[in-house]
Amino acid sequence: MVGNIELFHIIWFPFVAAFLCYLTGRRHKIVRDRFLQLSVIAEMGIVAAAVFVYAQQGELEFVWKGFCMQGLYLKLDGFRVLYGSIAAFMWMMTGIFSREYFTHYRNRNRYYFFYLLTLGATMGVFLSGDFYTTFVFFEIMSLTSYVWVIHDEKPAAMKAGEIYLAIAVIGGLVMLMGLFLLYDAAGTLRMAELREAVQAVMPEKTTQIYAAGGCMLFGFGAKAGMFPLHIWLPKAHPVAPAPASALLSGILTKTGVFGVLAVSAEMFRYDSLWGKLILLLGVVTMFGGALLAVFSVDLKRTLACSSMSQIGFILTGAGMMELLGRGNALAVRGTILHMVNHSMIKLILFMAAGVIYMNLHHLDLNEIRGFGRKKPLLKGIFLVGALSIGGIPGFSGYISKTLLHESIVEYAAELGAQGEWFLWIHAVEWVFLLTGGMTIAYMTKLFTAVFLERHPFRQAEYDGMTHYMNCESIFALAVPAILLAVMGVLPYLTMNPAADLSQGFLHGEMPVHAVHYFSLVNLKGALISLTIGAVVYFGVIRKLLMGKEEAGVRTYLNRWPGWLDLEELFYRPLFQRAAVWVSAGVCGLVDRMYVICGFLKALMELSAFFCRLCDYLVDSVLVFIRSTTHKSRTEQHVYLIGTRFSRTLGIFLDNVIELLNHTIRRKNPIEHSFVVTFAEWEEMFRRTNRLIGASLSFGLMLAAIGLALTLIYLLWW
Amino acid sequence: MSSVYLILPVILPIAGGALMPVLHLPEKRRNLYLEILVLLTSFLAVLCVLRKPEDGFTMFHLTGNLDFALRLDGLGCVFTCLIAVLWPLATLYAFEYMRREERTTSFFAFYTMTYGVTLGIAMAKNLVTMYLFYELLTLISVYLVMHPMTRKAIHASRIYLYYSIGGAAFAFISLVFVIIFGNSTDFILGGVLDPVKVGDNLQTILFVYLLAFWGFGVKAAVFPFQGWLPEASVAPTPVTALLHAVAVVKSGAFAVMRLTYYCFNVEMLQGTWVHFAVMSIAMISIMYGSTMAVKETHFKRRLAYSTISNLSYILLGVTMMSPLGLLAGMSHLVIHAVMKIGGFFSAGAVLHQSGKQYIDELNGLGRKMPFVFGVFTIFSLSLIGIPLFAGFIGKWNIAVAAMDTGKRYPFAYAAVAVLLYSALMTAIYMLTVVVRAWFPDQGTDAGCSNEEITDPGWEMKVPLGIFAVAVLILGWYSEPLMEVLRAIAEL
Repeated sequence: MVGNIELFHIIWFPFVAAFLCYLTGRRHKIVRDRFLQLSVIAEMGIVAAAVFVYAQQGELEFVWKGFCMQGLYLKLDGFRVLYGSIAAFMWMMTGIFSREYFTHYRNRNRYYFFYLLTLGATMGVFLSGDFYTTFVFFEIMSLTSYVWVIHDEKPAAMKAGEIYLAIAVIGGLVMLMGLFLLYDAAGTLRMAELREAVQAVMPEKTTQIYAAGGCMLFGFGAKAGMFPLHIWLPKAHPVAPAPASALLSGILTKTGVFGVLAVSAEMFRYDSLWGKLILLLGVVTMFGGALLAVFSVDLKRTLACSSMSQIGFILTGAGMMELLGRGNALAVRGTILHMVNHSMIKLILFMAAGVIYMNLHHLDLNEIRGFGRKKPLLKGIFLVGALSIGGIPGFSGYISKTLLHESIVEYAAELGAQGEWFLWIHAVEWVFLLTGGMTIAYMTKLFTAVFLERHPFRQAEYDGMTHYMNCESIFALAVPAILLAVMGVLPYLTMNPAADLSQGFLHGEMPVHAVHYFSLVNLKGALISLTIGAVVYFGVIRKLLMGKEEAGVRTYLNRWPGWLDLEELFYRPLFQRAAVWVSAGVCGLVDRMYVICGFLKALMELSAFFCRLCDYLVDSVLVFIRSTTHKSRTEQHVYLIGTRFSRTLGIFLDNVIELLNHTIRRKNPIEHSFVVTFAEWEEMFRRTNRLIGASLSFGLMLAAIGLALTLIYLLWW
Repeated sequence: MSSVYLILPVILPIAGGALMPVLHLPEKRRNLYLEILVLLTSFLAVLCVLRKPEDGFTMFHLTGNLDFALRLDGLGCVFTCLIAVLWPLATLYAFEYMRREERTTSFFAFYTMTYGVTLGIAMAKNLVTMYLFYELLTLISVYLVMHPMTRKAIHASRIYLYYSIGGAAFAFISLVFVIIFGNSTDFILGGVLDPVKVGDNLQTILFVYLLAFWGFGVKAAVFPFQGWLPEASVAPTPVTALLHAVAVVKSGAFAVMRLTYYCFNVEMLQGTWVHFAVMSIAMISIMYGSTMAVKETHFKRRLAYSTISNLSYILLGVTMMSPLGLLAGMSHLVIHAVMKIGGFFSAGAVLHQSGKQYIDELNGLGRKMPFVFGVFTIFSLSLIGIPLFAGFIGKWNIAVAAMDTGKRYPFAYAAVAVLLYSALMTAIYMLTVVVRAWFPDQGTDAGCSNEEITDPGWEMKVPLGIFAVAVLILGWYSEPLMEVLRAIAEL
């Protein structure tokens, strides 16, 4: 263990606190709740101390050789300072908020235990200086956060948890494979050394490096909610308890983004092919998420889909960062700032949703509409988040979106100047603006429903709920909201330094000239998005996605076709049926064929055959001899009637007659055996011969004939 | 330390076990006697490992230059230590587990005798001795499978006997060839085959190696001789856990290691058809085992299938035919032993406490048996290969070895893909159990909720706890272990 031990404190503290919290919770619930809040505040303090050391000494490092084979390598640079603080801050705020939110929950002990474990793991991911360390903590984080998703233990939660776990495990394993390929090719996993190592082997091992990058993108992208691995996100985020949703959406997805950024910046710096891939995936994610959000009628689900869409924005920025090459300052700063913004915004919005759920135990827009009508504080907090995520000038989201938009514009100009085909980048720009508009539209939908419209019959009850959150929760919600508002109003004082601090991580250089966020050119993009947003809201949401029920109440309708679900449509059939069926089928077949049994049976048959053969060997020699050379004399066959000649001839003729009887003489068959006839004839013939031979007169007659012939011969010759 | 003492840890349990039915001790005193016997043996074995006697001890000459001899070298030390640590704990566990069974005295007698025989395999100096102990292991452990004396158990023991004896016959062939073509039958790292003697008979030697790989591999449940292992899970859990996850099956893997690295010449085998053949056999077994485990719904049989795939991980490492491969094989041998015995013990504890055998009956049991399922979760995560748990170390080493061999023979890259597939399957078949136990679907745990099910007593808990801690410590900091193994593999 060498280096700055402060970094290690950040990691181990939450893990130890988790166990202490659990043990405390078994004895005393109230003490446990306070202990949790203290731990998250203490963690913030430890992070602050580390940041303080960083401010004095510059980059910090911590190495523990041999930990989990490859060793632990932690690092604190500008970006990690930023994100470490944000993570600690978010845990602190949700931790404070949790006490009220979970008052009526069961299994709180379990939840808090995993809550703190995940904090440690997430800190580990953000502080990791090599991909191995990232992976170790990433896996822990994936598994511990699973317990958040299924905390309710309702069927929907269990199902979402199933997908969450499946994607987490598959993603983790594929990522490990990627790390492995990378380690094999480059010989190191340290982020800072990767660039050189990869460059050194690049021409020969391009395929392997790209395969490694692809695998790692799969793993990190799955966690970030990147298309087409986003399927878990819109399901898992809404079912988790609200503070957990805030963390899942706000910070756990960012660990995935962190990985994608690290891979992009270190392994594939300025690689335009990689950039295009990320850009494409980013654009699809961005648009798809927004589309899902527009259709959704559930508060938390809308926010979750929105998260997916915002991750798409960030990935788009990452893609632009690659494409722009050296002059990518705009993209780099936009990406980082949008990450920061999105974390803060989702923290606020999900906690606000949590406040609503805590009071009403509903999230359906039709049920909760009108809840916020007479609650100015909640309304204000929600509004800051909504305006910010919508990218309205004067709020922080505007700054980051403008930077991202400008980076696209810049690249289009660059392509145009080089005379290359650049229409596609304009298409990307328009999708970007359109998605921005859709963001505004769905946030307007949420805000209108919850804070402006009236509930058809429970409005009075809702208005009566004046003590809807205690002062701890107010603190937890208000502080980030104020922070976000300040960031939006004073971008030059807050957001620029943040970007300056952390752009080194992505190897961004200072922009050539300062960006004037509120210049007319930059405002134009926001205005276009606003217009689109208005059109989408009034043209699509209010017209198509709302219907009238009786009594003239307009309700929000879920018009998203139920079958159109990538998970049900594609992944489940593929993995649950096809893959399982095929592999299990093959193995079952192998099992059933009983390779060994069949083999044994064949062996038995074969050996039995040979054994029997051997058994009969001597016998068969004897048999052979007996039937050939030493054949015993057989009795001559005595025919009952006839001789062999007459019998054969007779049988032959009988057969001929048989044939005739069956064919031409069928009606009038010959019933007559030639065997008998021939035998009779033969007998007669033989008897006649014998009679002739035996007769004396016949002999005398022959002698006389002989004498006569002799006389004639003597007389005439 | 004189090398004569090597014989003690082998003879002591065999004699002690054989003596037991004669003594007629009451249960408590018998258990005490047994535990002392086993502990003493372990102590002696570890002492032998620590004060490694340099030369071997020859018990008697069989014929010609065939000796019956014992010696401890690096690989043997690892296996000896592993067995010596696990056995006393498993015996402790068996006391509580077997309390409800009949004929326990004869069971424990055979159980203890197996210990001596397994140590004999670990300490064998040459192929002949190992072969002898190998056969002996089959004959003694067959009673343990048969012990429940049900139809199924007798059937299983019969299958076990056929497979093992058949395998040993294959292995015997290699013994003959090693005697003919080798300089000696002793185990020497790098092999004893003499290239001059082999001459033109290389193809024959390769074929004999394949036969021997299968022959010794039968005990390691290598495809297609895996059939006996799931069948044998009818045996009492201490047997399935210790013998069919560690002693017997690891003896198979250990024998294959001895055969590959200490008898046959690795350089001779590298890159030949037989190299690819054994690699493919190992890969097929891995995929087969992990896929079948997903299909299986019987808890112990699922673990048995998992053992099939994990044993082939070891063999996959071994078949890389490089020092890195030997290192990988040894590390997974040690690590898998600890986590799988833990897994089986957890399953046994569940069976013992609740009588539940099938996975779909485990809904919500985690709440009732938090300790057992807590440690089972650790073993599961370790088996999947999540970092921070020991299983990851073994898999990482195997993958490193595969990548290294892949540089020369690209076929070895496939091993990495196989590992990925298998890890995925492992995640499915282990996590489904864990998730079901901790987070039952609502309404399905009604069956369990009114039954009185609790964690088992200390005799079961202590071994489980020790194994879980071992898994965690090995996962966090495996450097000392790896240091030792590296020295053995001469890296």
